[in-house]
Amino acid sequence: MSIKRLDPAPMDEERDSPRLVMPPTTRSEFVLDVKNFSVDYGTGDQMVRAVNDVSLTLRRSTVLGVAGESGSGKSTFVYAMTRLLRAPGLISGGTVNLHTTTKGEIGEEVLDLVTASEKELRKIRWSHVAIVLQSALSALDPVVRIAREFDEVLKTHRPEMSKKQRRERAEALLATVGLNEDRLDRFPHELSGGQRQRVMIALALALDPELVIMDEPTTALDVVTQREIINELQDLRSRFDFAMIFITHDLSLLVELADEIVVMYAGSIVERAPANELYEAPRHPYTLGLLNSFPPMHGARQELTGIPGSPPDLSNLPIGCKFHPRCSYAMARCVHDEPPLVSVGDTGRSVACWLHVEGAERPVPVELSRRVTSSNTSDTGGGAS
Amino acid sequence: MSETNDSLETIVQLSARHLTRHFTTRVHGRFATTKRVVRAVDDVSLDLSTGRVTAVVGESGSGKSVLARMLARIVKPSSGELSLEGTPIAVGARRTIDYASKVQLVLQDPFASNNPVHRVRHSLERPLLLHGANKGDVEELAKAALARVSLEPPERFLDRYPHELSGGQLQRVSIARALCVRPSVLLADEPISMLDVSVRLGILNLLRGLCDEEHLAVMYITHDIASARYLADETIVMYAGQIVERSQGTALVDAPTHPYTQLLIASVPNPSDPMSQAREKGEHSTFAIADVGCRFAPRCPYAMDVCRTTDPPDFQVGEGHTSRCWLHANEPEAVVEVALPERRREGETTKT
Repeated sequence: MSIKRLDPAPMDEERDSPRLVMPPTTRSEFVLDVKNFSVDYGTGDQMVRAVNDVSLTLRRSTVLGVAGESGSGKSTFVYAMTRLLRAPGLISGGTVNLHTTTKGEIGEEVLDLVTASEKELRKIRWSHVAIVLQSALSALDPVVRIAREFDEVLKTHRPEMSKKQRRERAEALLATVGLNEDRLDRFPHELSGGQRQRVMIALALALDPELVIMDEPTTALDVVTQREIINELQDLRSRFDFAMIFITHDLSLLVELADEIVVMYAGSIVERAPANELYEAPRHPYTLGLLNSFPPMHGARQELTGIPGSPPDLSNLPIGCKFHPRCSYAMARCVHDEPPLVSVGDTGRSVACWLHVEGAERPVPVELSRRVTSSNTSDTGGGAS
Repeated sequence: MSETNDSLETIVQLSARHLTRHFTTRVHGRFATTKRVVRAVDDVSLDLSTGRVTAVVGESGSGKSVLARMLARIVKPSSGELSLEGTPIAVGARRTIDYASKVQLVLQDPFASNNPVHRVRHSLERPLLLHGANKGDVEELAKAALARVSLEPPERFLDRYPHELSGGQLQRVSIARALCVRPSVLLADEPISMLDVSVRLGILNLLRGLCDEEHLAVMYITHDIASARYLADETIVMYAGQIVERSQGTALVDAPTHPYTQLLIASVPNPSDPMSQAREKGEHSTFAIADVGCRFAPRCPYAMDVCRTTDPPDFQVGEGHTSRCWLHANEPEAVVEVALPERRREGETTKT
């Protein structure tokens, strides 16, 4: 679904003339607060639960990384959360509280996106929550020049702006993502993949949102272009101070970019931790397997094993822990009972694995408290076996 | 793992010399239509040997896929020579079935390269029949092919449709399909980039195993330099249709000498050392490819005058390690001063 498909919004009076810099906010710690959120596809016998009882919070001006393979529910989660999901997708429970602030006011408004009306949604979409989608090629209208994409957004949400102001604003936005202003008069096919993705990012920032959601924004790009976009995002975030949810399957990219990471498997969160802790000391066997699936760039070459088996089929999930058929640490308990997400340590991390519950049948393996990387030891097999 | 197996004699299976492919496009101007030549692959020479993985690394548009298609003889080269097991091939002629049975190509997207309306059995048995297997044997041969790619038990997979398999399983079917005619060369064009992270290593290990145990010559094309480092016995980096750096083993990744290779490596997400990232010089632009001189010069932070006027030859920078960059000329300062035409001739003689 393209960002352009959003309904035309009515006037947005609380947020005045164009500006990109938010005043330092002291209002509340969180911008987003999701509780027990579930999404189903289909009904009755054919029902598939794509997102299962997900709870998370996002602090202001921080980056939350969502990692997972295809079918883990990460995209469904954000589409449903922003109410962009279409039938047969259906939100079957939970709340998504968005804390929106208004310039010049101390307080904040809290809106439950799950129960919000279309009118209320229109008010927050784009101006408070913006989305950058995976394929920039299909998100931009191929028969419309870039300038009109900006023009339409600003015309709808900022009707008080003159044509000249809109043009200037669009030029300024392009400049913030490192594109020359003459790109405004180009068609999408005249831009490279990286440039199109930059245009998408500039569009998302057009109304100075508090929360930007990025769904695999760099997956289709080359590694050099990906590096440029990531650097650009870091830069923009330090200048404009927005919170970000970054979805990707590339865990090593997230470790670099995100403050906190949640790892999803078969629709559920299996681990949540600060980025560097997750990298250095993964607690869930799936996280460890994912981290060990990326061949290292230095150190001795050694055989890596990855994760055996195939990603789960959501319509035919195993009983007990969803990961146990692929897990090399599986115990008798894992086959019958699904582990709850429990907190471990004191840095706000949590993990859904029976190994970390008191009274587990076996002690926590050493590699699940401290990861052995090829850079500090070259003689051990880095695999999860 | 994967140090070159010295006990085994490596034999060059497929050899390419000065392989070149230019595409001509028409550019519609306001008053006239002009022709523009895209040099997709320019003067590429390489050998694929038994039991060795040759990794070709490059961004999209670097010509790596066109190169693979030329080696599979799906795309006809503009010029250059190919020889299979020492026998020269008439590159302009149509591909023969003998050639196809020796050199097989595996494509990137298994969902696109497997016919959705046919069972796995069909995909495996049809090439066998076309390549002259007896009708009575094909089922056994197909099962053997599935077993070679660790899809066990094979009976379970023969009657499945592509949509019933996961991406990793389907890519294994694609590899089985390529293997069932017993080729000696396997060209794998980005075989893992469409797959889930957790099953990628399985495919890489499978390719490694085919190489080590069945002495296949494998060409592994990728944009992911880390996976090339994991797998390769020889690494080649391509930029804008040219080989800019090549080395035996992983020397190229551990000590990159060409500025483009350095840029590629610096761009890889590296969580253990996030501060090491180099930024590309200047503004990000489209792939500005110079018509004259070094093709990387417009993006190169070290570009010198000579780079803008003269295409560099391959310079030896280590054992089995060459770099196509003027920085590695024997006397870099001298290069700038030496009269260019003379230098050019000298450069060309060192070309392989």
